[in-house]
Amino acid sequence: MTRLVEVPAQFDDRSFDQFASAFAAAAKDGERLLFDAHAAEWASPYGLVGLLAAGQAARSSAGGGGGGGGGSAERPLLTAPTHAEVLTYWTRAGFFREAAELFEIHGKVPRVKAAEQSDVLLPVTPVRAAEDVHAVVSNIQQRASAILASELGLDPKATMGFAMALSEACQNIVEHAGTGGWVAVQAYHWRRKLAKRVVVIAVADAGVGFRHSLEPTQSKRFGTRWGDAAALEAALIQGVSRFRDPGRGQGLAGIRRYLARWDGKIAIRSGTARIAIVPKWDDDVPLRDGLPAFPGAQVLIIIPEQGSTKP
Amino acid sequence: MIQHIDVHAVLQESVSGVYTDLVTRPTGRVVRECIERAMGTAAGDGAVARIDFTRVGCIDYSCADEIVAKLLRTRSGVLVLTGISDGHREAIEPVLAGHRLAVLIERPDGTLEAVGAPDAAVALLDELVARRLAARTPGGTLALTLA
Repeated sequence: MTRLVEVPAQFDDRSFDQFASAFAAAAKDGERLLFDAHAAEWASPYGLVGLLAAGQAARSSAGGGGGGGGGSAERPLLTAPTHAEVLTYWTRAGFFREAAELFEIHGKVPRVKAAEQSDVLLPVTPVRAAEDVHAVVSNIQQRASAILASELGLDPKATMGFAMALSEACQNIVEHAGTGGWVAVQAYHWRRKLAKRVVVIAVADAGVGFRHSLEPTQSKRFGTRWGDAAALEAALIQGVSRFRDPGRGQGLAGIRRYLARWDGKIAIRSGTARIAIVPKWDDDVPLRDGLPAFPGAQVLIIIPEQGSTKP
Repeated sequence: MIQHIDVHAVLQESVSGVYTDLVTRPTGRVVRECIERAMGTAAGDGAVARIDFTRVGCIDYSCADEIVAKLLRTRSGVLVLTGISDGHREAIEPVLAGHRLAVLIERPDGTLEAVGAPDAAVALLDELVARRLAARTPGGTLALTLA
């Protein structure tokens, strides 16, 4: 039997919980999953890497033999968007190049190269090892430099800070996820919220998540409060790491400093919780707990065009 | 005598002949170990090592910690960083401040500046003068006494 997981028509961080809820419900009995994106109208980089993480989780759970179906090693199914423009964008964003390994894809995927020149600053790119982080940082610097300085009005010096933030976000996968993940970077005009251009970094994996990663060193300290929300708070607000080395935990702290300087936002979802450092222009909730469970960690970083950012 | 270590060359030889960025913990660890080996021959309280970051692209916080902070914590000689861009400083400064450490940066004109935790930076400059490794220039800034 195949269970259906509907991909929201507007698939971004706001609709991700709806997707996570459908995923959690469908995945609980270990049946093969069908991710239905045929009606998708738009997906942010966060939506795209999140969908890959869901495919990764569905595939590993099927391969692991969970549920009563005998543990099929079949790949989950994915119906591609039917809107031609959406399909072309997902292809240009590098989504299908990665999805082909995870999903059995239904629908006609156009033969378009991943973007070389466009608002896609970094197509969906796998991150499995330190070498991948080097490649990501190297690729992004030249392309991001022009966008950050000319379109977002950031000081040219900010480009290196951007690369640092990207590097640290990707390293979270390598060092903590216990599996691979994906990163994507895109610039776009965010009409709904800001009426300004933004650059968005999205990173997702279906690994062990923050709670599991920090549990051996942090759970006793938090006692009964320990859970996904406490783990996210420990990592992002208190800068703790699972490593006892006193220099650890610099990465997220560094990202926070960079975002504070450029009025940016970071949100991290892991397990059943989501934490955000919310700038004035946004109305997001700083900490949410009791969300539908979703494996691994999903990171969203937004840097807005400089100038007045009215809430 | 001042030992000169070219970090870009170390990175190219030890980790990657392709990339110029100091990113990720494993990269930082390998580069630091190479620098430590190079410094090993000139170890001692009076040894001065000039660590040159010219041609190094981006340094992330992990590498700043893994290389600069750990060298400061484990080596007994004096470290002087050169070829440091504003971007490099953005990573190095807060990492050192978090450890209550400071390091010397040599500007292109040869003058010295201590960056990191303010208390540690003042102490570092005082110590340098006391040990006659640096002296006041006519302009009131500090420069190394050794060439």
